[in-house]
Amino acid sequence: MDTPRPIIKTIDLWKRYNTDEESFALRGANLEVYPGEILTIFGKSGSGKTTLLNLIAGLDRPTQGKIEIEGNDMEAMGEKVRTELRRKRIGFVFQFFNLLPTLTALENVLFSLELIGKPDKDSALEALSSVGLKGKENRFPFQLSGGEQQRVAIARAIVKKPSIILADEPTGNLDTATGEHVLNLLVSQCKRYGATLIMVSHAMNTCRFATRIINMVDGILVEDRSTGDCEV
Amino acid sequence: MKIVIKAFLRYLLRRRSLSILQLLGIACGVAAVIGMAISARSALYSFNEAIEFLRGKATHHIEKPAGSMDEDILIEIINDPAVDFFSPVIDRRIRIADGEVVRLLGIDPFLDSNIRPEIVRTISRDRYSQENNVLYDFIYMENAVLIDGSMAKKLGLSPKDTINTNKGIFNVVGTFSNPSGELLIIMDIGNAQKVFELKGMIDRIDLILNDDTGFRGRWGQGFKIESNRQRRENLTALLQAFKLNLQALSLLALFVGVFLIYNTAMFAVVSRRKDAGIMRGIGVRRSEVFLAFTTEIILFGIAGGAIGSIFGYILSRILTDILGSTISNLYFFLRPTPLAWSWWNMLAGIVLGCGASLLGGITPMIDLVKTEPVSALRGRIYQKASRKTVKKLSVYGLLIILMGIVFLFFTSAHVYIGFAGTFIFLIGISLTTGFVLMVSIPLLRRFFSYLSGTIGKIAISNIWLNTNRTSIAVAAFMIALSMAIGLGSLIHSFRHSLIWWMNSQLRGDIYISTRSDVDVPLELYEELKKIPGIGGIDIYRNIQITYRGKPVHITAIDSSVLKKYTQFSWLKGGSENWDPVKKGSVIVSESFARRFRIKEGDTVSIESARGMVSLPVTGIFHDYSTEHGVIMMDRSTYINLFNDRTINSLGIFIDVKGEKRQGIIEQVEKMAYARGLPTSRQRQFHERILGVFDNTFAITRSMRTLATIVAFFGIAGALMTLFVERQQEFGIYRALGFSTGQVALITLMEGIGMGLISFLMSIFTGSAIAYILIKVINLESFNWTIFFYFSLNPYLAAFTTAILASIGASLYPLWKVYRLYPQMQIREE
Amino acid sequence: MKDSSGFDFKKWNTQGKYNFFNKTRLIWIILPLLFFFHIHFLPVALYSSLSYCYASEWKQAIGHRMWEFPKDHGSHPEYRTEWWYFTGNLSDETQARYGYQLTFFRHSLKKMPQQTDKNHKTYPWIVDDVYLAHFTITDIQNKRFWFTERTSRKGPGLAYAATDRMDIRLLNWKAIMKKNRIFIKAGHQGMEIDLELTPEKPVVLHGKDGLSMKGETQGQASYYYSFTRLKTKGFIKTPLSKKSVRVNGTSWFDHEFGSNQLSSEQEGWDWFSLHLSDGRDLMIYLLRKKDGSVEGASSGTIVEKDGTSRHLALSLINIQVLNKWISPKTKGTYPNRWHIKVPAAQIELTIYPLMDGQELITDASTRIIYWEGAVEGKGMSKNKPVIATGYVELTGYAGSLGGVF
Repeated sequence: MDTPRPIIKTIDLWKRYNTDEESFALRGANLEVYPGEILTIFGKSGSGKTTLLNLIAGLDRPTQGKIEIEGNDMEAMGEKVRTELRRKRIGFVFQFFNLLPTLTALENVLFSLELIGKPDKDSALEALSSVGLKGKENRFPFQLSGGEQQRVAIARAIVKKPSIILADEPTGNLDTATGEHVLNLLVSQCKRYGATLIMVSHAMNTCRFATRIINMVDGILVEDRSTGDCEV
Repeated sequence: MKIVIKAFLRYLLRRRSLSILQLLGIACGVAAVIGMAISARSALYSFNEAIEFLRGKATHHIEKPAGSMDEDILIEIINDPAVDFFSPVIDRRIRIADGEVVRLLGIDPFLDSNIRPEIVRTISRDRYSQENNVLYDFIYMENAVLIDGSMAKKLGLSPKDTINTNKGIFNVVGTFSNPSGELLIIMDIGNAQKVFELKGMIDRIDLILNDDTGFRGRWGQGFKIESNRQRRENLTALLQAFKLNLQALSLLALFVGVFLIYNTAMFAVVSRRKDAGIMRGIGVRRSEVFLAFTTEIILFGIAGGAIGSIFGYILSRILTDILGSTISNLYFFLRPTPLAWSWWNMLAGIVLGCGASLLGGITPMIDLVKTEPVSALRGRIYQKASRKTVKKLSVYGLLIILMGIVFLFFTSAHVYIGFAGTFIFLIGISLTTGFVLMVSIPLLRRFFSYLSGTIGKIAISNIWLNTNRTSIAVAAFMIALSMAIGLGSLIHSFRHSLIWWMNSQLRGDIYISTRSDVDVPLELYEELKKIPGIGGIDIYRNIQITYRGKPVHITAIDSSVLKKYTQFSWLKGGSENWDPVKKGSVIVSESFARRFRIKEGDTVSIESARGMVSLPVTGIFHDYSTEHGVIMMDRSTYINLFNDRTINSLGIFIDVKGEKRQGIIEQVEKMAYARGLPTSRQRQFHERILGVFDNTFAITRSMRTLATIVAFFGIAGALMTLFVERQQEFGIYRALGFSTGQVALITLMEGIGMGLISFLMSIFTGSAIAYILIKVINLESFNWTIFFYFSLNPYLAAFTTAILASIGASLYPLWKVYRLYPQMQIREE
Repeated sequence: MKDSSGFDFKKWNTQGKYNFFNKTRLIWIILPLLFFFHIHFLPVALYSSLSYCYASEWKQAIGHRMWEFPKDHGSHPEYRTEWWYFTGNLSDETQARYGYQLTFFRHSLKKMPQQTDKNHKTYPWIVDDVYLAHFTITDIQNKRFWFTERTSRKGPGLAYAATDRMDIRLLNWKAIMKKNRIFIKAGHQGMEIDLELTPEKPVVLHGKDGLSMKGETQGQASYYYSFTRLKTKGFIKTPLSKKSVRVNGTSWFDHEFGSNQLSSEQEGWDWFSLHLSDGRDLMIYLLRKKDGSVEGASSGTIVEKDGTSRHLALSLINIQVLNKWISPKTKGTYPNRWHIKVPAAQIELTIYPLMDGQELITDASTRIIYWEGAVEGKGMSKNKPVIATGYVELTGYAGSLGGVF
């Protein structure tokens, strides 16, 4: 059998935010992620992990280096294709939930479906109920608690059945219990749909769910340990 | 993309107060433009209507270059083959009881029925409506008049009533409808001759000609023949400078209005940065975000434009009145009727609202769409422009300022270029705002921290951290304040130049009949001359003629009296300039000299009652009486040329001092009073002129107010957007241990800080605008020099406005701070 | 408004029961004035029974008049109304035919004391007499008809009529008699006539020595004489011809004056002036009453070739209307073809208009409509076939314009 091809591959990624300064958020990150993996990138605040995630999602552009999604060079795709990619193949869960404040929970999820051209209300309702929000579909984000908002975000990411889900500190803004709950949900949903999940976190709780853990220090991916046994 | 648009539109509802403010911002901008444009159009439309109505079907009219003419000329007119119809007219002004000046036309209803059939027809139409026979009364009743409907309504008059006028009591025998808005009284020509003591004389003949050239060939000598086209052109030319003024004000309104809308739209986009970021993050295409924004902006533009057009229409009704009284004061009587509401106004408002909004929204929209989603996701996080960008922008700004100045140098080609230059200059200045902020922030921070410690420091830092937005708000406010300062300084300087001019030229102790509606009988002059103690009487006659196709004035005066008693200020030379005037030379006003590029030693050729004559110009004097230009000549020269002995007014110079002088003044007043002639002492006269002046600038002042209101909305909108977005930041302050009051103070300080910077910038810009208005625009459009007189008032007013507006604009956020305080926490959404 | 005669016509006006078209030919002097004095003025002049008190300021056409020519060609300001009426049939070198009408009216609105200023100059704008004129040209070949009118007070030389000779001017229109010739001239907006009229027969006095009765009552009459046949030459210009055309032909001149001749029962009238090719001239006027009958005072005059004339009482005249014409503009129905028999004068003629549309619709403000146009006809005179040309005036057929517009 062939070695499975990585679904995500980054080669020598560099990222500098401020052109004035000589400070890099990423200094040559190399990463290969295989389908079905649940990966945690672990690092301190400012270590560059969010930057990496954003680059993978095509939300930002690298200063140098290459990203391949499903074997395709992201830079070569162009903005249009990158948008299509985000729209159809990648789900994103943000630290600050980033729900559209003016849409209800249902509409936020439905929105995601609308983007892939299948505005199916039932799927959206089902997704919401699968994250345990049955009965709260018509609430606006500000009427929901933080955990509930993040669940809506997960439903929004999952509902379109993407092959990749990126989660940026999905529990960063939640208390421990809620965080646990949300992580459980996220991981189980990914497994259910066979999606590859990359989480970045500075908290250890995410490690427990990961199949692989990567450490990030000062913009460099330094370690690649095997699953499960991170210190909690 | 229904949901995208839905998401955007829901936002408008959720942030109601901000949306309302944005809507009001657009509406105010549109209202300023529409209001000014409609009232300018109303004035010009009414002006045309008045001309049309008065001329009726006449194609031409003939009159003497000056004064009335002998009615015997009619017999020759009758036999001229070019004349199809004619109607002799007496065209005068009378003053009715409430002091209003009204036009009175003396006509022969038989002859006039071919020229103005509707007037006669109106009264003969309702055959059974009145007991009396209107036309029979019109001819046979003493002092019988027809009045127009609007006047009847205004004065509550109906047939059989009487009106008191300075020419006696008139009997109203009927009314007619007059669409022109000018109050009009019609009298039988026979009665009119009696009332005005003009037996055997008529003012002009209205004609319907079938052969223009032939008629002119036969009547060219000694008469002034004007076709309607010429007449309209002449009257329009009379309004030229005024029209230009209106246009300038409309442009100003447009500029300020567009700026405000621009501002509003930009805030709308900028404040939605984060939502756009989220959308992009989950895979919404750029074009879809763009579309959603455009939809929102256009919806705002439509709603704001529609509301604005209604506001503007209401505004125009006020402005139209002001315009009418200004025109009446300066040129001729005009009571513009506001144009009726038309849906085109709304369309124009919507187009303007949408256009300006798109213009305002397009840059931040493009910017937003171009940025990587991740930076958009950071949302409002400090919009600090990098120093490099700020510097780059201000370099562009400087270049644009230079371009504006180059434009200003070419103002002499056309005053529009001057306007353009001014606006370019302003745009340039506003581009440098960021740089000014950058430079002044450290100083302000020090000042504010001195005032209120850390709070002040934080407030000022906030301004700097949000440069991208604050600089635009500051620029808009600065421009409005500069306009106010510039216009204020212009008015002040003009007023003082006028006072200086009056003091040098209008030095008579008492003036008789300085109103246009009454002339002075020669006998009075003769009698006055005999009073001992009166050193000199200036006998004044002013007529309007056409010089090189443009209306100018000829003023006849007594040059020896003026030489002795006044101190004309000359462009060159001194009172020796008077000497040749006695011998038939003329002096011309500065506006005349500039307009026609006449120098001392040149000659002017004018059409007199004896044909063309060339007169040498021996001096040029400063004058603000009319922008059209004055040719001043000695009365002897005038009588010789025009054979017209009418006296419009007398200026009396008294030699003796003290009580005796008072006695003479009173004696003169009595003598004038006995003849029903108004008098004014020097001070009253000067005050009246200043009154007219102030009235004239009423429209300018209202524009100034408008600019300030618009600016207020601009700065309020900017502040509010900032604050509303930063609500959770207040939570941080709270977490840091600030009290509610302190948080409110930060808000207030930010507002005041922005107001202060705007004001500081406007000191420079406003002075520059004042200079441009006085030395460039005014000189080019009115052809007269205004001397710059410094006044602190406009600056103080601008300062007060700046502070009050920024406090006012902070009120809503302040209220918000107090209301929301308990719930504030450090979290998003 | 109290008239100086003491008659309060305001009171009268409010009663206002009059018919707009119950008048004789003379009404046309007064009608244009309605323009200025509404109709209220009209009943005053119309009601003969009351006209005494009203018209007392003016002299009445009563009794025998000692005619004195050329003085009587001039104006008679002591009478209230007066007119000089010129009509004629002309043709140019190409035999193109034209008709013309030029009428001057003088109507006294009010007797005014002459006002003079301190230099004893009279004040010209005083309105006592008002002058009116109607001027028409018919271009028979091109079937065109043009009409124009004007009105003026005397003013400073605007309108004038001499009292000692025929010299009438209204603005630049005029009729002046010099020696034995009358010069008439009028022009406006492309219409122009400049004619020299030479009487071929002496003055003809109508009625009884020039007193022509218009009703039963005394004073309901006017003084009326004519030059029935004037040799005419001169120039005519129409808006169509663009330039003056030399013409020749025959004209008819009426001069009539009086103060109140109108009766309330009269509805309108038909007036014929005809030149017969054998040199005889025939004038007939028929006053139509509202009840359809013809006023008994209607009459005619036959003028022989040698100038001798004879009064024709109504009983001697027989007129039959053969055809009618409805005006497309006013919907008025006019007689359009007549059979005229005057056995006593051995005349039998069929008369018809040279063109139908010779209807005068004066400016909407005056609201006057009448038909006056060139006619021709054939028939027998003294048992010999003759051709007739002339003018016919028809009034009271079209009603008030007020109802039309």
